[in-house]
Amino acid sequence: MFVAPNLAAVAVFMLFPLGFSLYMSFHNWDVFTPAKFVGLANYRSLITDPLFSIALRNSVVYTIGTVVPTILVSLAVAGVLNRKVKGISVFRTIVFLPLAVSSVVVAVVWQFVFNTDNGLLNIMLGWIGVGPVPWLVDPKWAMASLCMVTVWRSVPFATVILLAAMQGVSENLYEAARLDGAGELRQFVSITVPLIRGAVAFVVVISIIHAFQAFDLVYVLTGRNGGPETATYVLGIMMFQHAFAFLEFGYASALAWVMFAILLVLTVVQLRLGRRRAAQEEQSWA
Amino acid sequence: MGLKGIEDIADRVIKPSVLRGVTLYTALTAIAGCALFPILWAVSGSLKSAGEVTTPTLFPAHPQWSNYREVFALMPFWRMLFNSVLYAGCVSAGQVFFCSLAGYAFARLRFRGRDTLFVLYLGTLMVPLTVTVIPQFILMRIAGLTDTPWAMIVPGLFGSAFGTYLMRQFFRTLPAELEEAAILDGCSPWQIYWRILLPHAKPAAMALAVLTWVNVWNDFLWPLLMIQRRSIATLTLGLVRMQGEYVARWPVLMAASILILLPLLLLYTVAQRAFIRGIAVTGLGG
Amino acid sequence: MASVTFEQATRCYAGAERPAVDRLDLSVGDGEFMVLVGPSGCGKTTSLRMIAGLESVDAGHIRIGTRDVIDDDPKDRDVAMVFQNYALYPHMTVAQNMGFALKIARIRKLEIQERVSDAAKLLDLMPFLDRKPKDLSGGQRQRVAMGRAIVRRPQVFLMDEPLSNLDAKLRVQTRNQIAGLQRRLGTTTVYVTHDQVEAMTMGDRVAVMRDGVLQQCAAPRELYRNPVNVFVAEFIGSPAMNLMTLPVVDHAVALGDWRVPVPREITDSTGELVVGIRPEHLEINGTGVEMEIDVVEELGADAYLYGRIANADNTFNQQIVARTDGQDPPLRGSRVRLRPQSQHVHFFAADGRRLPFSRGTG
Repeated sequence: MFVAPNLAAVAVFMLFPLGFSLYMSFHNWDVFTPAKFVGLANYRSLITDPLFSIALRNSVVYTIGTVVPTILVSLAVAGVLNRKVKGISVFRTIVFLPLAVSSVVVAVVWQFVFNTDNGLLNIMLGWIGVGPVPWLVDPKWAMASLCMVTVWRSVPFATVILLAAMQGVSENLYEAARLDGAGELRQFVSITVPLIRGAVAFVVVISIIHAFQAFDLVYVLTGRNGGPETATYVLGIMMFQHAFAFLEFGYASALAWVMFAILLVLTVVQLRLGRRRAAQEEQSWA
Repeated sequence: MGLKGIEDIADRVIKPSVLRGVTLYTALTAIAGCALFPILWAVSGSLKSAGEVTTPTLFPAHPQWSNYREVFALMPFWRMLFNSVLYAGCVSAGQVFFCSLAGYAFARLRFRGRDTLFVLYLGTLMVPLTVTVIPQFILMRIAGLTDTPWAMIVPGLFGSAFGTYLMRQFFRTLPAELEEAAILDGCSPWQIYWRILLPHAKPAAMALAVLTWVNVWNDFLWPLLMIQRRSIATLTLGLVRMQGEYVARWPVLMAASILILLPLLLLYTVAQRAFIRGIAVTGLGG
Repeated sequence: MASVTFEQATRCYAGAERPAVDRLDLSVGDGEFMVLVGPSGCGKTTSLRMIAGLESVDAGHIRIGTRDVIDDDPKDRDVAMVFQNYALYPHMTVAQNMGFALKIARIRKLEIQERVSDAAKLLDLMPFLDRKPKDLSGGQRQRVAMGRAIVRRPQVFLMDEPLSNLDAKLRVQTRNQIAGLQRRLGTTTVYVTHDQVEAMTMGDRVAVMRDGVLQQCAAPRELYRNPVNVFVAEFIGSPAMNLMTLPVVDHAVALGDWRVPVPREITDSTGELVVGIRPEHLEINGTGVEMEIDVVEELGADAYLYGRIANADNTFNQQIVARTDGQDPPLRGSRVRLRPQSQHVHFFAADGRRLPFSRGTG
């Protein structure tokens, strides 16, 4: 049957792991010795683990610190790119370029940009007489740097989606708005943004899911231990550590499921909020 | 002519549209600059000598192409390139083939439990990576496939839920008359698939292929877990190893980054539309 | 309230062979209802959008009142437009749609509400003020689009084929409503349509355009009676005027075996003519042009006979349409004789121009 191979793959690599990891979370296992059933012990120690609260806080900060700027910036960028002027496709190609770059390359390159002694940013700051900033070395700055890189990485992705949504808005609406007296900014705020609400919501959800689980970028940019003094110790890193460094598969699985649960709740809340926000907006117009 | 005359002319020359054009292009250039600067900085860094790297210049005095040559000496670049291409190619081909089969089945063929199965598929899309990674790792271990190329190829080879979702949505947009004509001509489902639908599915297939290729190529976590031997390592792994071994040897690191960047950049320029469509479709389809 | 004047206005798209609007000279009086009509691509919509500022003017001038507006932004021109597909803001209610422009102009909330409800009462939209466009029927959306224009109290109304998306019956109803509304408000209106029936019934004057060039601008009656060229003659009136290209022989043209005399003033100058007679000006009679009927269209009050003129030697080479009373029309396949009403025969030169002559001589 047509579906068989595909179905088998999905079952083996998706459905089975789902169940298995849940199962594992109730055990202590290190792959070498047989698993030992411990019930909810993993979950209990997780909650009391100080590293967990650090990781959780870091992940939350990271998520907010990347999703919000990403949305704002990509709205603006998509708005600027949403025109039919000469050469616009060149600009679009350039803006979407970072999508083709792997996270690893991004991280390595930005490490160079952030380099305390001879990175581009500090050089440019030097031109305006501001002292060098220890971007990746100082715990206070590490998270900010990480967020910056992530935003740089995420904006093109969000822009692609928002731009596609913007292009679905009929030209006639803008003409009517121009006749009604709306200037550029007004048109953007009153017409473009409300009409791409769905795409914005989608980007928000996807971005939150990505940010919450981030691993690649964090690992390569600030190291496997979560940066200077755990400044960038996020949940993704924590899980990796416990699973593949400490070989505590049960514990790591428990962590994974906790993350899943949080994400699920967040997504549901968002969907509800989205619906309510839409209703509120209509009243604000009156 | 009088003052009013001059004013009129001035009003005509500095038309609001000209001002608008200038601001637009300035904004576009600024945005493009933000998108490109890390990469440009990396290029500039890759051409500097070790000492020069500390100087705040944009263009190196004497381009040191030797840095690039060193990359080849320090890591088995061609080997890794081959590996990355191999994995990405196999998985992409497999995905396109099996997902289009399954997608067609879900879209057009009728079989028991089709719709519930599809809902299950959709459900797996929501599961975050973190939950499935550990069990997949263990699966590979049990199968004895760790540290072999198979570990990189097999999980994705038979397609994924996402790919199937994409293809199904696409097939649904094709007119039913195509198949109806074929059925009247006496074709079996396989023939319908092979001769008629697949040629028409090119845009979606391209988009899926490109997206999959990029994802496999850029993948970091999975190769990190699965691969120990350098001979089967991917480019992403190679870069991170370099980063670890040759800390602060910026010129060479940058050169390596640029080299790793290039193949995807090439793919991007060639298949840009497919690229963007892949992302946009996944965005809007969700 | 103001007049609208086109002075040699021209719009040319890059790469096009001919201008979309070619040196248009047209003046619309204050309070007048002017209809621009013509086939697709004739430039009527482009001309309308030039007034609005949605198309730029490449040469010439456009005046609203006395002011040349070609450099003005749309929002500064004080014109309101009803779009063909209404362009209602989908995420706003009817009331918000209508009040949007006023809100931007920072008019006080109270006054906005007043104006919106006045317009809503006028257009019978009161029950729908809180609905969104997707919950309205086509006719209701059309009225909201009109309401949005009315509320602004502009100097000029521009309407771009506002009835084309409505079904036939609704179209007739709405047509009368729009005409009545315009009379009541007295606002200068420029109305674009491709439907000559709309043009004839609604306009104070009608401007017929073709390929970017104005053919004739006159009151509907004048267009019907004295079309200035073959194109206008054929465009106005349904079914179209019969137009036949015939050689002049002995100061007359022959329709089959029936001779129609041609006035002296005309025969002196040409050897070949286009003769035009409207179907309603052919009467079934004992003598006249002989016609063999191919199709009879019975429309109740009238019937239209489609057929061919019979020549003396029983060959046929000219199509003809005639109108007759619907009570007892002749049968298909039969032959009848049609007498043209001499005061309603038109003559055109071979290049399409009208050939005038003093009637009374016939």
